[in-house]
Order: sequence, then C-alpha cells, then structure tokens
Amino acid sequence: MLVIVCPHCGPRNSDEFTYQGERKPRPEVSTTDAAEWRRYLYMKANQGGWATERWFHGSGCRRFLMLERHMSTNEIRSVSQVGETK
Amino acid sequence: MTTREKFSAWGLLRHGLSRSPWERMWDHHDLAPSYDVVIVGGGVHGLATAYYLARNHSITNVAVVEKSYIGSGGSGRNTAIVRSNYLTPEGSRFYDRSVELYEGLADDLNFNVMFEQRGHMTLAHSDSSLRTMRWRAEVNKLEGIDSSVISPEDVKQLAPFLDITDHPRYPILGALWHPPGGIIRHDAVVWGYARAAAALGVHIHQETEVTGIDIAGGKVTGVQTSRGAIATGTVVNCTAGWASLIAAMADVTLPITTRPLQAAVTEPVKQFLHPVIVSGSLHTYVSQTSRGELVFGASVDPFASYSTRGSLEFATGLATHVLELMPGLANMRLLRQWAGLCDMTPDFGPVIGPTTTPGFYVDVGWGTYGFKAGPVAGESVADMIANGRPGELIAPFGLDRFEAGTLTAEKGAAAVGH
Amino acid sequence: MSGFRTPPQAGEVIDRSRTVDFEWDRQSYRGYEGDTIASALTAQGEMVFSRSFKYHRPRGVLTATYHDPNLMVQVGDDPNVRAGHRRIEPGMVVEPQNVWPTLDFDVKASNRLVGRFLSPGFYYKTFMSPRPLWPAYQKVLARFAAGGRVGPERRTERYDHRHAHPDVLVVGGGPAGMAAAIAAAESGASVILVEEEPYLGGHLRYGTAADREVCDELISRVRSIADLEVMTDSVVAGRYDHNWVAVVQRDVSGVSERLVKARVKTLVVAVGTLERPYVFKGNDLPGVMLSTAVRRLITLYGTSPGERAVVLTANPSGDAAVADLERVGVAIEAVLDARSGVTVLEAGGTGAVTSVLDSRGNRHDADLLVTATGWTSPTLLLNMAGDRPRYEPTSARFIPTDLPDDVLATGGIVGDGSVDELVAHGTATGTEAGRRALTLKATWQRLAPAGRSMDPPPQDPLDVPSLSHDPHPEMFRSSTHGFVDYSEDVSSKDLIAAAKEGYDSLELAKRYTTAGMGPVQGKVEAVNALAVHGEATGASLLETATTTWRPPYAPVRLGTLAGRRYEPVRHSPMQPWHETHGAKPLAAGQWIRPEHYGDPAEEVRAVRKGVGIIDVSPIGKIDLRGGDVPKLLEFVYVNKWSKLSIGKVRYGVMCGEDGVILDDGVTGRLAENHYMMSTTSGGAGTVWNWLDEWLQTSFPNWDVRVTAVTDGYASINVAGPRSRELVGRLTDIDLSPDAFPYMEVRTGTVADVADCFVWRIGFTGELSYEVHIPAGHGLEVWGALLDVGADLGVRPFGVEAQRILRLEKGHLIVGQDTDGLSQGFGMGVDWAIKLDKADFAGKPELVWQGEHGQYPHLVAIQTSEPELVPPEACQIIDPDGTIRGRITSSRLSPTLGRSICLGQVDADLDRPSQLLTIKLPNGTTTPARVMEHHAHFDPEGGRARG
Repeated sequence: MLVIVCPHCGPRNSDEFTYQGERKPRPEVSTTDAAEWRRYLYMKANQGGWATERWFHGSGCRRFLMLERHMSTNEIRSVSQVGETK
Repeated sequence: MTTREKFSAWGLLRHGLSRSPWERMWDHHDLAPSYDVVIVGGGVHGLATAYYLARNHSITNVAVVEKSYIGSGGSGRNTAIVRSNYLTPEGSRFYDRSVELYEGLADDLNFNVMFEQRGHMTLAHSDSSLRTMRWRAEVNKLEGIDSSVISPEDVKQLAPFLDITDHPRYPILGALWHPPGGIIRHDAVVWGYARAAAALGVHIHQETEVTGIDIAGGKVTGVQTSRGAIATGTVVNCTAGWASLIAAMADVTLPITTRPLQAAVTEPVKQFLHPVIVSGSLHTYVSQTSRGELVFGASVDPFASYSTRGSLEFATGLATHVLELMPGLANMRLLRQWAGLCDMTPDFGPVIGPTTTPGFYVDVGWGTYGFKAGPVAGESVADMIANGRPGELIAPFGLDRFEAGTLTAEKGAAAVGH
Repeated sequence: MSGFRTPPQAGEVIDRSRTVDFEWDRQSYRGYEGDTIASALTAQGEMVFSRSFKYHRPRGVLTATYHDPNLMVQVGDDPNVRAGHRRIEPGMVVEPQNVWPTLDFDVKASNRLVGRFLSPGFYYKTFMSPRPLWPAYQKVLARFAAGGRVGPERRTERYDHRHAHPDVLVVGGGPAGMAAAIAAAESGASVILVEEEPYLGGHLRYGTAADREVCDELISRVRSIADLEVMTDSVVAGRYDHNWVAVVQRDVSGVSERLVKARVKTLVVAVGTLERPYVFKGNDLPGVMLSTAVRRLITLYGTSPGERAVVLTANPSGDAAVADLERVGVAIEAVLDARSGVTVLEAGGTGAVTSVLDSRGNRHDADLLVTATGWTSPTLLLNMAGDRPRYEPTSARFIPTDLPDDVLATGGIVGDGSVDELVAHGTATGTEAGRRALTLKATWQRLAPAGRSMDPPPQDPLDVPSLSHDPHPEMFRSSTHGFVDYSEDVSSKDLIAAAKEGYDSLELAKRYTTAGMGPVQGKVEAVNALAVHGEATGASLLETATTTWRPPYAPVRLGTLAGRRYEPVRHSPMQPWHETHGAKPLAAGQWIRPEHYGDPAEEVRAVRKGVGIIDVSPIGKIDLRGGDVPKLLEFVYVNKWSKLSIGKVRYGVMCGEDGVILDDGVTGRLAENHYMMSTTSGGAGTVWNWLDEWLQTSFPNWDVRVTAVTDGYASINVAGPRSRELVGRLTDIDLSPDAFPYMEVRTGTVADVADCFVWRIGFTGELSYEVHIPAGHGLEVWGALLDVGADLGVRPFGVEAQRILRLEKGHLIVGQDTDGLSQGFGMGVDWAIKLDKADFAGKPELVWQGEHGQYPHLVAIQTSEPELVPPEACQIIDPDGTIRGRITSSRLSPTLGRSICLGQVDADLDRPSQLLTIKLPNGTTTPARVMEHHAHFDPEGGRARG
C-alpha cells in the first residue's frame, strides 16, 4: 500500500485511488487512422525508471492526478492535478 | 554435442552404492562470437524454444542468455498450475497442445517434472460466472477437452474443505471441472529443458545481461551483453515482465504493461486438498503440494511496477478470500510471499511472432498464463524460426492484431482464471 | 532423563507459585506459568520434540525460540505451533507431528538407512517410468508431507485488525531498541515499540546482574512515557513500500491475534541477531544446542538442559553459557575455545548426544553440546527497505549498507559494543528517527491545503556514529559434514553435490535441495548455506553475496491476516420487506437482490395481465446539472442528445474508446439545466468515473456537475396494464397518456413523499412507471403500492421475472448478451449509432466496424422443440463442429408457453428463419431458427406505449 500525497486531500493510502497508467493524447478523431488510433489505445512504453502516469482519487476528491513514480522502487516524487502544470 | 547419463531408479541405486557424483546438468561456456539464434531470457519459454530448435529442427548453434540464473523470473515464481480449459477455440487448442507436451515431458526430457493431474476446479459464485463456466465448458468440449460444469454437491465431494453453505456474497453455485489440469514442479520443467537443450549443444549463459541489440540496415545483426558482443541475425525475446525493455532495444513498441503478480505459500500440513481450486470472483487460486504446503495466487497488482517486493494488502486480501472458501484454515500460517512480473496485454492474449524489425521475434505478453504455455510456445516459436513464418497454432496471436483491431476473444471473459 | 529444574534464577520469567498441567504425547506434564512448551518439557527431561521431514531423525531443542526448526508441535487443532515460544496453558494438549506411529518408535526412520539413495532432488531422477505408475508414486510422495493437521470446520477464534499511524516504530525491545524508542518519544514523536518475546529486554534478560539492572532501568523509562506504546509478544512481519509495517500482536485480549497495519514515518530496525548453528557430523542430535538456547533455558526458565556439557565457544555468549551451566551445577566436561583454533568434529550418539569428538582428537562423554559459533543477521526488514546487506568479515555476519531515509538501524544488526555503547547508539538513532518523522509530518501537513502549517523541527540531521565490529572467527562448517537446514534435512554434502551437478548459483542449489524452503525458511541457517555453497563452487560467495529474506518474518495465521470476516453487501431500502416475504436472495455484484418470491412464472403473468412491482434500486442514477450537459451526453453516448426537451427521456448506449459497448440506460431531462442519467446496476461506478474522467481530462471548461445518487433514491418499477391505475392512486402527477406519454419523465409526490421523479419506460415491454423515491421513504412507498393495489392483484416480482420479461421483448443486457469484444454495431442498437456526429467516445472504431462489417449479430432465436430451453452459453455450430455463435440468454416464456433465446451469431446467419444447430451440454444437438424481430412478444411495442 503506497502513500499518495493528494494535492487536495493530503497523504492517503493508494487503495483510495484507481491506477490508470500511462496515457497518450487522444488523436484528432476527424483525421486519425487505424494505426494511430490503436497506438493510442494499446501501445505502452512500459519504461523502467521514473514514469509519468495517471491515477484517479475515486474514494477521495475524485480528481484525476498525474504522478511521477519510480517503476522499480515505487517511490513517488510528484503528484499534480491533471491539466495543472507543476 | 554431449550425451547425458540417463536418470532412472537404477541410476540412483548405482550412484548411492558407489557414492559417485552425478554429471553436470549443463555446462559453462564462453560466449561464442556468433550464434544462429540468440534467445533472450532463460525461463521455460526461452529454454523450451532452444530445446525444440535443436531437437525438432537440428538448429543447435543457439544461445540462451539469462541475466540471472535460469528460471529466476516468472518460471520460478508462478504457482505451477497447468490447464487448457480456456474460453476461445484458439486458446483451448493452444493450451491443449501444451498439456499434451507436459504429459509427455518427463519421458521426453528424462527428468521427472512431477506433473500431478489432480483436476482443476473453477468455482462459480454468481449466475453470470456460471454462464461463463458453461461457455468455457462448451467450447472446450468442441475442442475435445475434458471440461464440464458440475454441481455444488460434486464440488463438495471433490474438495470437502470448501464451505458450500453460508456465503451471502460468494455462494458456490457450481464449478467448471477440468480433470486433466493440475500442478507441476516448475523448477523441474526449467531444469529439464535446460539439461536436454544443453545435451543437444545449446549454450546456456547465466549471469549474462543483454544491454543492447545491434541493428543494421533495419535488421538485427547482433546482441550486446554484459559479457561481450554476439553476432546473430535472429533474436527471440522471451523476457516476460521485461519484454518492453528488451523490445525497445530493437525499436519495437509492445502493447504490454508490466504488473507484479503475487503468490504465497503456507506451512505444510497433512494432505487434505486434492484438486486445484480457483475462484475468479475472489481472485484466488489454491493448491496443495505433495509436500503439504498450500500455494496461493491472486490477480495481478493494481498498478504497474517492476518491483517484486510484494505487498501486505495482497496477503490480507488473499487470506480473507481463502477463508471465505475454506473457513477451517484460519490457523494455517502464511510462510512466505513473493512476486513475479507479468507482461499484461489488452486482450489477455500473448504476442508471439515476428515484429517490424526483421530478425527480432517476440514470445511475450503471456501475462499470468506464461508457465502453462511454455512447452507449446517453445515448440511453436522454434517452428516459426525454422520455417520462417508463424504456424497455425500461434497465427491468431501476432503483434499486428492490435493495429488491425482483431483482438483475441479471451477478453470476452477476462477474469482471474488460473 | 537429563533435564531438571534449577534453583530460582534472578532473571527468570516463570512463576513457581503457579503450576500448569498439560499433556504431551498423550501423557500428563506439569510446568510453571511462564514456561514455554519446550522449557516445561526440558525441565521434565524430555529431549525429543519432533522427527525430521525426510529421514525422520529425532530432533530436540536447538535455539529454544520461535525460530527453532525442531520444535514444531500440534496444539489441539492448531498445527505447526512453535514449542520454543508458545507458553503452556492449563489443559493444553500438545502432540508431536510427523511421527508414525509414535515419537519414540518411528517406522519412517528407516529412511535414514536408505539416505544415500535419497540424494537431493532424487525424485526428479526417477518415478518416470513406467508412466502408468506415476499416480501411485504421487501418493507415496504425498505421505511424506510434514506438518500438523487442520479440519474443515469454521473456526471459532476471532481476529482483528487495527490501523496505526505512529511517527516512529521501533522493532526490537533490547537495549538499543528501548533506548531508541525513549529518545524518539522524548523528541516529540509518537512511538510504538514492538518486541517478539513476552517481555522487554532482549539479551539483557539472560545476561549479568549489571545487564539486568540496565534492563530494569530502561523498562521503567519506557513504561513512564505516555506516547510510547509497547507491544510485547508481537512480531513485525514485514515492512512494505512506503513504510507500511505489519505487526502481529499476540497478547491482546478478546481476540486470538491482531494485525496492526502501521503507516510509519520512520522505522527503526533494532532486531539484534540470531545465533547460528554450526555444521558438523551429528549436529542435529538432541542435546546439541546453541549457547543462547542454554542461557535462556537456565536463566529465564530455571531449566537445565543436561548434566555433562561440552561447550564450543567462539564468543562471549559461549563463555556466558559456561558460567550459567556451572552456576546451576552442570558438569563442564570440556570448553573448546574456537578462538584458539579448536573445534568440534562430531557429536556421537544414537537418538541423543553421548559424546563429543574435538579437532584435537579428544572424545568427551557428554549429554549436552553447546555451540557458540556466530550470529545471523535477520535482515528481512532491511531487504524489504531495498537494502543489500553486505558480509562483514571482521564480525563474520551481515550488516546494513544503504537504507532509505525512512529506515534506520541500531543495535546488534549494526555492530557490537558494550551495553552502554548500544544504548548510546540507540539513543542517537531514536533522536534522529524522531527528527525525520516530525519533518515528514510537517511536510505532509503543509502539502494538504486543509492542514495547518507547522514549522519543521529545528534540529539539523544528527550524524549517528557507527558501532564497532568485534573480531569473530568465521565459523560455518567443521571439517565434517552435518545438517545445514534442519527442517528440510539438507546436509552440507547435499549442497555440495547440488553445486557439482550444475546448480551452481546459490538460488538454484537452494531450490534443488529445498534448503531454506521449510517451515522456518532456513533463517538461522542462511549464512551456513551461503558458506557451504561457496566452498563447493570455489567462489568466496560471502564477500559478494547478499542475504535476501522474504516476508513474513514469522509465519502469520490466515485468520490474523484476514481479520474479521467482512464482505460488505449492498441492500436496497426495501430489503426488510423482501426478507420477510420469502424473497430468494440473488448475489448481483455487491448487491443482494430478490431473485423471486416463490414463483417467477406467476410473477411474469401478473405483470403481463395486471400489475407487478419490482425493486430496481440498484440501477445507477447520476444527477447531471449545468449548461453543458447536452455536450457531455453527445460525447459519451453514441446517439444524439442536443435536442432532448424538458420532460423527455431517451435510451442511450455508451461505448469505450475501443468501440466496445460499455453501458446502456436512459437519461431524462428534468429541467432546463438538470438531467438524470440511469445506468446498469453493475455499471453505475464505471459510468460515474467515465463522466468525471472526460470532464476533467478533456473538457475542463464545460459547465457540468456530476453527482452519483444511486443510494439517494429507492427505485420501484411498476409494470403491467394496470400500472397507470395503481400509480395514479398515489400520485399528484397527471398520468393520462396525453399528459405523460411514453419515454417521458415527471417529478412530483408519490404516496405523500415529495421530490420523487417518475419515468415512463418499458424494459418489461408493458405500460410501466419507474418511480424514484428519496431513499428513506422507499420502504413506505413499496408498502403503499402493495396496499392500495391489493384489489388490482398487484404482486412483487423479482430479478428472474424481469429477465424473462425483458427477454420476451428482446432487450439486451450489457455484459450478458454483449461481451468484452462486442462493439456497437450488431447488438441490436445499430439505429442509435450516429456516425454523423463530429465526435464521441469510440467513434473511429465504430466507423471502421461499420466499414468492414464482419462482426457477430445479436438475434432472437427459437428452438424447434418449444419445450427445450438450451442453457445459456450453449454453442451454435456448423455440422463440422465449427463454432458459429452462442446462446446468450434463454428462458421458458410463460407468456408464449415456449422457449425463447437471444444469441450472438456470425453475420451471415442473421436472416429471418435461418436454421441453426445448437449443441447442448449433454453432447446432443437441437435445431433452432433465427427470428425476424428481437422481440418474441409484442414486436410492435404497442403495450408499452399504451
């Protein structure tokens, strides 16, 4: 159980949150093709080291958050609300 | 190429009387400057691929490159369950071949992999899961697989410790029963393949980490390792949870997320549970080894990670669910927990075949089903490399299906299903 | 009989004024309160406590602690109890495990005679042929299963969980741990101190008089601090990511055990060391014990474990054991001082030690051989914190290397020193732990906007000095071979043989020989295995290796991990009525719903002919307000919403970005900027999150407020030709067909309850009104409907009747008639998909799906034999067995008097009257045909619109 320090709610157990993982920008629907759209749907960098990912604080403020988390140690070095620059 | 001394009861007797040592299972080698095929990952998939390349196709100039010891990844961390009662015809067919290979593996490898076909039981706790069980059973029967839906009374008879009463939330309404399923000694499968492959001339390089893949003219030309460079035109990625990292070295992106899958074992007690018990709704599977321990597994962790340290909530959740099924076990003690890394795909099907980089093949994306598929995946990948194209069994599982939007139908009923 | 009770000892933890009678191996024994099972039996001269796993060798006390591999016993119906730790209780029934027929005479001990043939992993090399005999071999192998026994009955013990949030948690109540806890508390931190034994003090307890004085002083200081909670007889099972620490508390009242889940800001590891055994011939004979075992037995329990002792000592603990033995009158036959180069070659005897052969060739008669050859560092918590402990050759044990900021270590696991030095180190460590914890606390409080800002503590980081390392001989194995792993009967010879066979990494050798796999996980023996394996491979493994322990530190009961039995379920406000009126419960996700009230077919007929009411409270309800709600609806549904006028209700389908059907339901417009969305019961949470996700991540400027109100309303569907009459008796809403047509919504009062909303929709295909009542009034409105409708023949109907009714109408259920690959087209809702909308979730996939056209079609199906209901999930096949589809829903229709189905079939089979072959579970097939309409009944839909 990780601690995620929610910018709205403070430190909370990670089971209050839903993991959504790495997210790609949504392609422009009017011009997209299958290759681009399905990369958006299915392909993942799945990198090691520090990764940026989305979580949803469903049992708290219900905000969608961006985390920087280390994929080997699970250390979290930043949490911000989606759309807000850090 | 060397021949290996045959293992048998007589051999045990002879060595016992003479107190002479057994010969080595596999040898150390220096890295050769080049190999026809380099297999990355010394787990059951990699070693089986090497074995079948050598045995079925006489391709013996093969290296298996493993960053730790053989079987140190998922092959030595899974819960050793083998079954073939999958939902789709292509899935059932594929895993049925795997069960067939497992049944003959001890003879084939002259190494007792201790496959105990104790039967595999998937409990249904709701009418919708009962419907899914029937779906699986009906598809399985059409593929000639022994699989059927049984009643709660049959469940109780096969596994008397299951509480079939008093579950407001998770009543036991029936089960999918699959007699050929069972458990196996996972390490023995790894060692048996390694020994047999080594005997046919395959080089197994342990403690050798791949650090890069050489590409020239758009094609694979070699592999960089922590022990030096190897020239090769064919690289097979059999690295499960690390698949994306190796694929990235060959400029290949995969539809894979790495998730830890945790498991645990209890202290031993006298035998009381014969079949393998699975509850998809409770995300739990349980079997008892011949040593008397209960081996538990669950669904993958709720978030991606390359950490194998495990979590407390896995242990507490698991215990809750096991006691919901078998309330008599409250004073059994959890002895050890661990985690492996699973290469999860969006449709719960593997990614097996060529990639956009010629010479770079993948046998990944097995998620939580990798161990079960080891023999047939090895056989099929070997066949693909020898013949230059994927055979019928693995054709539905190509990497190109994601771009084509033709996902495999296991997603139709994705639940934990060991 | 070699053991006896000593005169009272100054530090003893037994109460000699209270005797305890218990049973061991079917005979009566007496001990004192405070005795462990092992100490009480040792005091009575018992030496053999178990038989080993493979060779059934007799085994006695080795460490006299929880981790003793030889002291596993059955207590009542509790298997694998640690006799070196569990206290005796009056009437306790203790039995040996793994013996047959008796502890003294064990038939399987004959395995010893064939031991040379049972080489490590022998089973991998045999039992292969003939193959038909393999099942018989399996049965033989299973007989070897060690351990106690369990039963199937639900257990009566109670277990509990507790959440704790201490600033500092100190693991280990020895001198360094106690000092750290005191210092941390004095720095202002809240502290929990956890000790595995039932008493604080660690090794001071069985030390000198001066040690005990320091011990008493520290204990009284610990007890005097209010914000320092002490948990004794409790074990830290693991330290998980972000300092989530599991403590198993055994000495709590009211429950058998409690799991404390502690979120710790700074963890202090003060676990000390475990004494490790020595490998030599005969090292597993009863009578071979570690120095700390002997010192505990004598000083804590007033029990002498022998009469004539040989002591092999390499350190002060061995020297102290000599002094203790002499004090209680045990004859010291020889002191072999390993620091001068002498060691033990063999313990002689069958069944128990009778002599000891030393490396100078002298044989000593003795019934007790005490070894003090070094320490094993219990590194679990360090490992779990990401550390790779390294071997320190000076002190011949592992020490921490690199700990994260939130973990500190002190005491014996770090180094050596006098008691004063250990206390000083603990104090400095505790102060620094407190400082770090309070700094983190302040950071968190600042980060939380609602929190109050607090200045971080002023001190600078304290540089904790390191402890020294006393020189200690590197002793792992003598020149003879003996057991490395006692629980698994793995000898040094086995480990060496394994390495020679090619299992030449330690992990492979351990897996092959099963060293470290047994019930004590080879913990005390870990370093010996490493050293012996290093010998075999010629590598100085110790210098490069690390030691990795896996959680839990000590085995934890499943009951403790599970805590209270608690699987929450959801009930509607009408549940009390259902329970008292014969409803058969149906688990549907978290909800428990009435499946039926006795006769679902009758319930169906009531709805078709008169009127019925069903509790549909689990339907998801989402309140949407704001000027941009139509935009949101346009985006999440595949159909059009911009022109929905006030009072109207529309059916909609949602797809994911992969085009797969996600959910369906109706949404109504209650006012200018106020909508109410309904979802499937199972999809309520998913859809709620889905709306929020799009609004926050893609459309943050839209004016929409989303509120989930599923639990805020009780929902009742009143269905049947007489539903208008029934609802009309209770509401102020004008129900006349012109005033309230089909697919519209009204708000008003029902049964005197205000703020209800009613929509006129028809899942059952009948005239029906879905009444949503503020939840607190659900039960009374339910009752009122039944009361005022008695003359109309109103009856409640359950989920089963509803399923039949909807199937008669061919309405799909998302997740049953569709599956994880069902995209929008083909499932009977093609009419709703509007590809001319600029954008909506999943649109590109639906465009391409429409173009390629190859997808399953949902169709209505009727069997040729009207009585035959093919079970759901039956496959539809070609004559050659190729799968062409499957039955997704099937029931016997009481209305039509025949079987009816929905099913998915390949596109080319979607033709009215197309013949199909259904394969039944019994292996036979039955013919069926595709129907023209999805609705088996009233395809024109006139009944609902009436």
